[in-house]
Amino acid sequence: MNPHGIESRAAQPSWNGRVKEDMAATATLERDAELMLRVRDGDQACFGMLLERHRGPVIHFMYRMVQNQAVAEELAQEVFLRVYRSRGTYEPTAKFTTWLFRIATHLALNWIRDGRNEKLQESLDQETPDGATRQVADRGRTVEQELVYQAKLREVRQAIEILPSKQRAAVMMHKYEEMEYSQIANVLSCSESAVKSLLFRAYESLRTRLAHMA
Amino acid sequence: MKECPLENGNSAELIVAYGARTLAPEVEAAFERHMSTCANCRELAAAQREVWSAMDAWTPAGISSNFDEKLYRRIATEEQGTWWRRVLRANWSWRPAMPVAAACAVLVAAFLLRSPAPPSGASQSQSQPKLQIEQVQHALDDIEMLKKLGVEVPSDKAGSSEQI
Repeated sequence: MNPHGIESRAAQPSWNGRVKEDMAATATLERDAELMLRVRDGDQACFGMLLERHRGPVIHFMYRMVQNQAVAEELAQEVFLRVYRSRGTYEPTAKFTTWLFRIATHLALNWIRDGRNEKLQESLDQETPDGATRQVADRGRTVEQELVYQAKLREVRQAIEILPSKQRAAVMMHKYEEMEYSQIANVLSCSESAVKSLLFRAYESLRTRLAHMA
Repeated sequence: MKECPLENGNSAELIVAYGARTLAPEVEAAFERHMSTCANCRELAAAQREVWSAMDAWTPAGISSNFDEKLYRRIATEEQGTWWRRVLRANWSWRPAMPVAAACAVLVAAFLLRSPAPPSGASQSQSQPKLQIEQVQHALDDIEMLKKLGVEVPSDKAGSSEQI
């Protein structure tokens, strides 16, 4: 029970399911750190394994931050390149994903700050500039359903785009990466209460903007 | 739930957790019981769940099939970079070298400050005659003053003035 009297599942280690999840998460975290330490020692294959595990989440986070697939992939490449460059000085002092998303958030916020996102929003199914194909799932919708879906999606994207960049990053990590407040705080280098404040203001704004969709 | 979370300042965290369905079952049940009698909380919670489900609709786009290939190409290009880049990005830290470099800089500065710069040949040759003239002038003044006082001038000093 936290000071506000709100119990969340994250604070309930007594539940069997949650304990198993936490144990699996801990094992994953240790595995990531172990892989990174092996990369530091020159094992290139381990870098490939880390890339395989985190490529999707990093690209999807970037995409939702910058709302442009080509830019998201470019920035994600830079994230992994920085991870590779830093292999020599890597120390597992924090969760690997915290470190990874700190790099990703830093790059995304810089990109947004530099105002390079103007008029770059694109359609989800647009082809990449170099002609590489993307693995887009067949959603199995009728044309009408697809139109409704696209309209809804556009509104969600616009509502998120209007959020201040730090609120946006906090929401993306909370909603899509399912990070806890403490981890988001570590990524954004701020206090947990600051993260809560960012999130509550962001969700309040989203509730106002998306209320008509109910 | 004894009091309305909107009134005791707990609403934000509670509503977000309810929307994300991360509340503990007993807390969720208590909140739902409260919502059955509180229209404000009911409205807020419904709006938060709506936001949550609307955001669920934003599924990520697919990833380029050549993402890894491009990344490995960039890594390979960096690996084959110039020697100084390799040195800069080497697996050792610059930090231990910093105090040594600072100490060397201090020693060099101290050495340069202690040893005065030798006068250049040109300036030495220019200042030498001026110095000699001044010395002679002083010597002549001294002799004259001594003569006025009635003191006998030593022969070597007189001789030296005669030589000049």
